[in-house]
Amino acid sequence: MSAAPAFHIRAFGENGWLAQFESGGDAVALALYANAVADGLRTENGVIDSVAGIDSIAIRFNPCTMDAESSRDLLARAIRKARFKKTPAPVKKIEIPVCYGGAHGPDSDALCEKNELTFKELTEAHASTTYRVLMLGFAPGFAYMGPLSEKLNAPRLATPRARVAAGSVGVAGAFTGVYSLASPGGWNIIGRTPARLFDPNADAPFVFEPGAEVRFLPISEDEFKARAS
Amino acid sequence: MTVLARIEKPGLQTTVQDGGRPGRRHLGVPLSGATDALSLALANAALGNPLGAAALECALTGPTIAFEADCAFALSGADMNAELNGERVGLYQRVNARAGDALTMTSARAGARAYIAFPGGVMGDDFLGGVSTYLPGGLGGVEGRALRAGDFVKCAELAAMTERDIPASVRPMLAHDFVLRATRGPDAPLFADGDVDRFFAAGLTADKRADRMGVRLNGFTLTASMTGTMNSSPVFPGTVQCPPDGAPFLLLADAQTTGGYPRIAQVIAADISVAAQIRPGDRVWFRNVSPEDALDISRCKQELIGTVLPGFCFY
Repeated sequence: MSAAPAFHIRAFGENGWLAQFESGGDAVALALYANAVADGLRTENGVIDSVAGIDSIAIRFNPCTMDAESSRDLLARAIRKARFKKTPAPVKKIEIPVCYGGAHGPDSDALCEKNELTFKELTEAHASTTYRVLMLGFAPGFAYMGPLSEKLNAPRLATPRARVAAGSVGVAGAFTGVYSLASPGGWNIIGRTPARLFDPNADAPFVFEPGAEVRFLPISEDEFKARAS
Repeated sequence: MTVLARIEKPGLQTTVQDGGRPGRRHLGVPLSGATDALSLALANAALGNPLGAAALECALTGPTIAFEADCAFALSGADMNAELNGERVGLYQRVNARAGDALTMTSARAGARAYIAFPGGVMGDDFLGGVSTYLPGGLGGVEGRALRAGDFVKCAELAAMTERDIPASVRPMLAHDFVLRATRGPDAPLFADGDVDRFFAAGLTADKRADRMGVRLNGFTLTASMTGTMNSSPVFPGTVQCPPDGAPFLLLADAQTTGGYPRIAQVIAADISVAAQIRPGDRVWFRNVSPEDALDISRCKQELIGTVLPGFCFY
């Protein structure tokens, strides 16, 4: 355990606050910390939204039941009180089979070329890391994960796709991510999982949750077909 | 279950919308629901429904529907020249239709969205406690999509009604000029000197890129590109994002939960319903107010609306 990172709080609308952490430390530990604090605040009376980003937390309060000052104090106190751990224990462990490249990973060739990797090196660099889910955001169930091997860092696509298939595995910046549902998206898609990541009727509709540990297991096109059917 | 009506022509984009899915943003799930929540509440109130009961939201051009049962309805929001069997029908009031009647709507001249409420609220697929349609994810509503010709509008049961008069004082006035009050966004200090003030002085024009997620606004660009990139961070309906080299984007009900662009402003809660009526080509100004003034404004507006819609809350 080490000291919590420094932060400042700014108004976010008339009924919200944004706590922004200073960058520079361990990005994975910070995202997990921000999510843990946000989880704790979500159930507080008067809090109507509590959402963590990669290095920030936003809360919104109901001004009919809570005043601005107390909600700001609540946020600041929760951050100071939470324990910042370098490697918090995973909330669950998930294994995701992934078929890399080909039609399932339409951006893998371009990424190999840009980052001077063979396809095998790309697959190994991605599948040899044990990831943590840092946050869900951008689209329903979309899981941001890290740390990503520097070999795979790449900017987002210049033109986002109108539709990325459910189960697609992408990389962008310093993160890898999985699309739980089909959605528009601008990440470099390197593979796809046949696993079902979303059940609209479940109480917890998404397989991923912040803090979960994720491993990707490379599978062949035939295995993909077998598991998808 | 009762079939109320059949969609003959779907209009431009007609979807089932209710009060949305609050408190799910940490799952990446947007609020959704009526973009103009006040108009939804008024249409529901005219029929005595709960204020967030599911209704049809019609974008720019409304549908034509054929009633399959004797049933009341109420319209609100943008005036889409509704006629029942060729006779003009008014907004914000209960209208009685009979099986076989046809409700036709055309294009709004002012405002972007109309609501059609039915007794007890319409049925849709439930997801996380709401039936609102979220089109990008194919969730809620009717198979997660906009209504098509041949779809049926259904309700669980024909509810008893205690209709209410909607006085003119609480009905939204729709024109082509929008002044939205907004607080400075949390990233305001990141912008170059004077850029935030210039933003609040700019006359903007709504782009044709305008949907339930938000509206692109032309007529303002930052003087200096910002340094560095921003990590994904929470955004909400009413957030105005300003990409370093692009036009500001005002987020609405289907706003994604996190974004990577600096947040220059946040529209006050009391004006978000108003913003939902911006149509392409409309003129938009943002007026800077303090968070304290924003709370006063919503308190006053809520008191006025509360006389007609007890329990209505902007938050």
